[in-house]
Formats: sequence, C-alpha cells, structure tokens
Amino acid sequence: MHTVKRYSRLYRVLITQFFKGIMQSKVDFLMGLLGFFLTQFLGIAFLYLVFQQIPELSGWTFKQLVFIYGFAQIPRGLDHLFTDNIWMVAWRLVVSGDFDRYMLRPMNVFFQVIAEKLQPDALGELLVGSILIVMSLRDGIMIVDGFHIAMFVISILAGAVIYTAIKLFFASIAFWVKVSGPFLSTAYELSNFAKYPTEIYAKGIRFVITWIIPFAFVAYLPAGFFLKESVSVSVIGIECILAVVFMAISYVTFYIGIGRYESAGN
Amino acid sequence: MKKFCKIYLPFASNELKRQMSYKGAFYLFILVSLFGSFINYYLWMAIYGSSGKATIGNLTKNEMVIYVFMVYVTSSIVTITLADWVSEDVVKGSVAMNLIKPIDYRLSLMWRASGQMVYRFFVPGIFVWIGMEIYKVKALGMEVVSPVTALLYVVSSFLSFLLYLLFDFCFGMVAFFTTYIFGMLMAKEAMLSFLMGQLIPLSMFPSVAQKVFDFLPFSSMVYTPVMIYLGKYSGSELAFVMGRQVAWVIFLYLLGSLIWKKVTKRLVVLGG
Amino acid sequence: MIEVKNISKSFISPKKYPGLKGTIKGLFSNEKVEKVAVNDISFSIGEGEIVGYIGSNGAGKSTTIKMMTGIMVPTSGSCLVNGVDPCKKRNENAKNIGVVFGQRTQLWWDLPLSESFTILKEIYDVSDEAYEERMEFLNKVLELNEFFDKPVRTLSLGQRMRADLGAALLHNPKVLYLDEPTIGLDLVVKENIREAIKEINEKYKTTVILTTHDIGDIEELCRRIIIIDKGTKIYDGTLEHLKEIYGTKRSISVEVRQYDKVKDIAFDELLQVEKDAYETEYDGEKSVFTISFDKRKIKVPQILSILMERVDVKDVRIEETQLEEIVKQIYLEQKEQAVEELEAAANE
Repeated sequence: MHTVKRYSRLYRVLITQFFKGIMQSKVDFLMGLLGFFLTQFLGIAFLYLVFQQIPELSGWTFKQLVFIYGFAQIPRGLDHLFTDNIWMVAWRLVVSGDFDRYMLRPMNVFFQVIAEKLQPDALGELLVGSILIVMSLRDGIMIVDGFHIAMFVISILAGAVIYTAIKLFFASIAFWVKVSGPFLSTAYELSNFAKYPTEIYAKGIRFVITWIIPFAFVAYLPAGFFLKESVSVSVIGIECILAVVFMAISYVTFYIGIGRYESAGN
Repeated sequence: MKKFCKIYLPFASNELKRQMSYKGAFYLFILVSLFGSFINYYLWMAIYGSSGKATIGNLTKNEMVIYVFMVYVTSSIVTITLADWVSEDVVKGSVAMNLIKPIDYRLSLMWRASGQMVYRFFVPGIFVWIGMEIYKVKALGMEVVSPVTALLYVVSSFLSFLLYLLFDFCFGMVAFFTTYIFGMLMAKEAMLSFLMGQLIPLSMFPSVAQKVFDFLPFSSMVYTPVMIYLGKYSGSELAFVMGRQVAWVIFLYLLGSLIWKKVTKRLVVLGG
Repeated sequence: MIEVKNISKSFISPKKYPGLKGTIKGLFSNEKVEKVAVNDISFSIGEGEIVGYIGSNGAGKSTTIKMMTGIMVPTSGSCLVNGVDPCKKRNENAKNIGVVFGQRTQLWWDLPLSESFTILKEIYDVSDEAYEERMEFLNKVLELNEFFDKPVRTLSLGQRMRADLGAALLHNPKVLYLDEPTIGLDLVVKENIREAIKEINEKYKTTVILTTHDIGDIEELCRRIIIIDKGTKIYDGTLEHLKEIYGTKRSISVEVRQYDKVKDIAFDELLQVEKDAYETEYDGEKSVFTISFDKRKIKVPQILSILMERVDVKDVRIEETQLEEIVKQIYLEQKEQAVEELEAAANE
C-alpha cells in the first residue's frame, strides 16, 4: 500500500511538471498539435480520395472506415501520451549510457522510464479520435448500448497495452544492439497499415499483423464489434488476452535486457 | 576541384559508414520497408477489385503495381531529411562552430545526405527495382523498361534528390526560430507524402487540386520521376517536366542562400 | 561495508575493420572480440573510509564502479555493498548508495533544481522531517540555495556538480560513489567540493569511493588508494605507504646571497656518501640553489644544518616527489614487468 502511494505521489509530481511545461511553451505545444491534426486530416483525405473511385472496400463503407480510423487513434494516443519515453530507450538512452540513472534509483525501472515524460502531442491523436467517433455517433453507424460502451472502454485500454508492449519489446532489443530505433520505428510503422480491413492482404501478411505484431487487434478487428451486430464479443476477449501475453513477453525481455546492460564508454 | 572533394567527401563517406554500422538493423530494414510497400500494393489491388474500373486516375492496375514500387524506390533515394540534422545542430549549438570553419554548411549537409543516398540506392533500392522489373516481365507479361526511359528516370530522380534536399534545408532553417521542430517535421512529412504523390497518385486528385500542384515543387519530387518511368510523358511534355525540376532546384538554391544569410546574421547577433 | 571478491567483467563486441571497405566487410562478418575490462579484482572497504580508485583512462575504474552500483552485472565474481548484492537486489542497494558521475548529470535537465529535489524526495521516500534536515545541511555545505530555483540546464558546471552531489546525498546514503567529481572545475570550486565531501564523510560516516584523475582530490581526501591498470589491481594501501615506497626522492631549494660559498661545500665529505648520491643545481637569476637526493641515504635535517651553518639562507623549500609521478612510475613498472614477462615467455 505504501509503495502504491509512493508511486502515485511521484507520478502526480511528474504530471504537475508536465502541465507546467505545456504552459511554458504554449506555442510549441500548439505547433505539435497542429502537426498531428494535419497528419490525421490527410489520412482521412486519403480515404476520401480512394472512396471517390469505389463504393466500398471489402464490404466496408467510407463512414465505417472513418470510424475505424478514429477508433484506432485512441489507444494509439493513450500509449503515446503515457509511454513516449520508450522511444528514447531505443534510440539514445542505452547507447549513450544515460540509462544508468534508472538503474541507480530504488524504483521499478519500467515505471521510471515511462514516468519521465508525458507526450503532449498525443492530445492531438486523442482529440482527432474523439471527434471522429462523435461524428460516427451522429451518423448512427455505431451500436450503442451499455454492454458495447463497457467493451469500448476495455478495448481501448487493451489496445493501448498492445501498443506499449510492442514498443517495449522492440526498444528492449537496444540492450543487445545498442540502438534499436530502426527496429522500433519499422514495427510501429506497421500500425498505419492495420487501419484497413485485413481481408485485403495475402494470408501471410494478415497473419503477421494479427498475431505476430498484433496491430489488427488494436483497430480494425475490435472496431467491427461496434459496427456490425454479426461480430462476436470474443474479438475483444482475444484482444485482452493478446494484450496480457504480449505485455508479459515484452516485460520479461526488457528485464533480461537490463541484465545485459553494458552502459557506455566501452 | 580536388581540394573541394577532399573537404566534402568525408561528409558523405562518414554518413555511409554510420548507416552501415547498424548491422542488425540493416537486414531488418530491408525486410520491413518492403513489407510496407506490399501492404500498399494489396490495398490498391483491393481498390481495383472493388471498383471494377480498368483505370483509376489514368493508371491501369498493372501500372499501379509499378507505381507503388517505383514510388518506394524513388522516395528511398529522394527523401533524405536534412531538417533533423539541422535541428540537432541547432540544439547542440554546433552550427555556430560550422560558421568558424571555412566550410559551407549547406554543402556539408548535402554531401552527408549523398552518402545516405548512395547507401539507400543499394539497400535496398536497386534490388526492389530489379525485382519489380522481373515481376513485371514474368507475371504481368509487360516489356522490360527501355534503357532511355531508365536513364531519364535516374536523371530525374537525381534532380528530385537535389530538389528535396534544398527544400528541406530551407525547412530546417525553421529550427532556428522555434525550439519545437518535431511537430513541424511530422506535419511536413505528412504533407509531403501527400503532395509528392507517395500515398496516392496525384492524377487521382480533383482537377482543381492538380492545377495547384503544378505550381508547387512537391509534385516534381517523386511523382515526376515515377511518371517518367511509366512513360507517361513524351516529347515536349517530358522536356517541360524535367525543365520544371531544374527550375525548382535553382529557385530553392537561391532561396536557401537567402535564408541562410538571414540566419547567420541572426546567429552572429544572438549567438548560437 | 563493501566486499568485492574476484570480480571480472568482459565485453563482447563485433570486430571492427578500418575504413569504408572495412565497414562493408564488417557487415558480412560475424567475428567477435572479447575485451576484458576488469580482471579478477578483490578488495574490501570499511565504513567511513574515503578510498581513491585510480587508474589511467580505460583501466576499468568506471566499470568497477558500475558493477558496485548495480548498473552492470559482473561476468564473474561477487560484490556485496552493505550486505546487499547490487545486481540481485537493485532497489535495496539503490537506497543505500548515492552516485555522482562527473560527466553526466542525474538531474532533470529542464526542471528547476528544486523540482528535481522534490522528485528525488519521492523516489527515495524521504520523510518531510528528514528532508528538511538534509536540505539544511546541504545548503550549508554546498550552498544550493544560490541557484535552487533555476533549471538545471542553466547552471554552471560547478553549480551543477554541487547540485548533483546534493541530489546524491538527499537520502543519506551509506556509500557515495563519485566518478570524476571535480572534472573541469576551477580551483576554488574544486576546493569547495572537496571540503563538502570531507564534511559529509565526517558528519555521517559516509563511505566514499572516488575515481579521479586529479591528484589534488586524492591528496586532500583519501587516506587509502587503490590503483588499477588494464583491469588488474596493482596497489591497495595507504597514501603514506605508497609515498614511502615510491616517493623516495627529496629536494631542498634554498635562496642564498653568496653562491660561491654554497658551491664550495663538499656534501660528499661532510655526509660521507658517494658523489652521485645527490644532485645540485643553481639558478643564477633567482639565486636559488637546489639539491636533490634519496631520503633513504641522506636525511633532510643533515642537509639543512650544513647549509645553515655555512651560508646566509633567505628562504627554504623542501619538496617531496609528486604523487602524480609516483603513479606514473607505478604504471611504468607494470609495463616493464609485463614486457619482461613477455620476453621471458618468448625465450622459453
């Protein structure tokens, strides 16, 4: 109990710091937000242009795909907001030896890594995601009842955990190769493509983005549950199981990696 | 000339070495970057399948296959980002150091970029290119690309490479005026992938938008060389699009010099 | 307090080839090179000791420290700090230690120093009363309040070092590791930092382990030193003992009016030693006469009395061999020994 209190108290201090930081650099923050809005807007524009040519894509309408797009932003944004510092492990902290400082403090190393930074840019993703979902609600294409709302929340959280797990796994490779940024960015890039219906891909590829780097379970697959009555709730169940399994694998890999950590200067 | 090479060549060779030193990343990079293009390919195949039309945006299904992979090859050698090197130098304060040395900062960056370009051309650019040609002939039953077209494509791509670098240098100068370039880099990348035709052929845009693109440098960066490769231009049209690339290179070179002059003045006044 | 037993660490890295060609070659080769950074080192350090851990660059100092702090896991051997194995119980060990790496700050770069301390207070779970008390002490010895509200990135190197030292001491650690704590600092700041370390050591009986290239740090702070070279321990003992063994050279410089008189003194006869047992030198411009000798053969008072009796001495200076030279000498001997061993091996 004492430990939980201590960790939450520390996190509160860091969050306060985060908001102070935003207030100090309002312009920078707005720039970041603008950058993200633009990225998201162009994503939708791409879909729009594609749908000028076709009525539907593998059985999905433009509006449904917009929902999937927006729905995908929320777990992505949550993960981005809370665990952005994992990127630094992959790119810099291990190779430069700055990772030392986490090893010197009497706290969980993973917690220290993610607590060090909140990423304000992520608010852009969360905002865009929310706007698109509100639009979908207005269009009446979603199934809305108590059960679906509860599942919605669970699915978003599980999705965020899957994102974090994938990031953590590829960042942990840095303990073996010093810089794992290229691995992490390429894995992360794949998430962009899981925004489309997975039926369009060849079997092998579909398998990879569903089970190996399971971004399909973050966006497209669970989104179906909120759009089509025919989709079973088990998809959310599998998403949760995957979240737990992948997080466990990543966390163990991270800790094995820490045991191999060589610091810098050699 | 010899001295010039002696000064600037190390920037290129160092970058080449740096790129190669990520040994583990090397193999994975090839695999996964191709994986991305394949997904793009499937998306377009599904779109052609759903539409039932023979051509979308003036491209047949087979041409779209070539488009997707040649965009990959072209962007891998063209889109080399100087802007984050500039912002890194600004943060570290090493730009001021560069002012002291008798080296042209922009040239040193461009040489560094050319090191990366050479690397990317071989890894895996040229292999994807050859692979695509084989696929084109064997599976799609098309003819192999003519040497003249291939040569024109290479020349046009090189112009694109210069064009992109010079543009990116101007963009990187923004780093001097804001501490927050990351968001802008992201916005730039998204905008460019759209405007250069990486995501979607520019011919699929509404005609009004296409008119606007004609007056922007971005369509000359990726779309033009790929369209040349597809043999979509001939005669005077070909001369025009390549002439336009040259014109943009000159314009952005001058613009960059002007901005750099302003920036160095500011640096001298405020300190790096 | 600290028990290090037969600790070793080696690093395995892919073999590098020189030049661009080499880089391409390296891409396809899978050769590995093993580098032994620390080789079978043992020592134990008691509570309240200040130990200088010295060696040339790349001798393995930092690697040893990193193993003792729990940053790195040793390849073989063991290490106990205050009864805790730093690698097995990292958290528990972290509570007992404070670390300052001279070239790298542990503080939050963009935050005001005060905020860094607030965060550290939570991380180390320091109670409010303990925090107040510590801050009062730290303010006294390190004068942190001068820049307590400034962001860390705006601090000068000296201020940053004081801040880092303060941060490492906030939780009253039993062991303090200092890796190059005075690197790049000016003399006054160096002096302040040393004073602070001394005071902390005296007041809280904090065990201090210090790596440094600054001989001044060692002479002022450490009673005991451990010297390592190429990963192997080559000396472990008191500073006095070290000087005793290696620092046998003395020199006396006197400022005199009448050089002729000094010149004529026959030290060899008076002291009944060989002529080559000492060396003399005269600086005409400053009228300074210097005589250097081995203290095992000639005693300082003997020389002094001879001089005092015969000439008018305006000023006297007695010099011992500098520690720096001693350390250099030890490295050299090590090298010679190694060469001899190699030659002996080759001859067989």
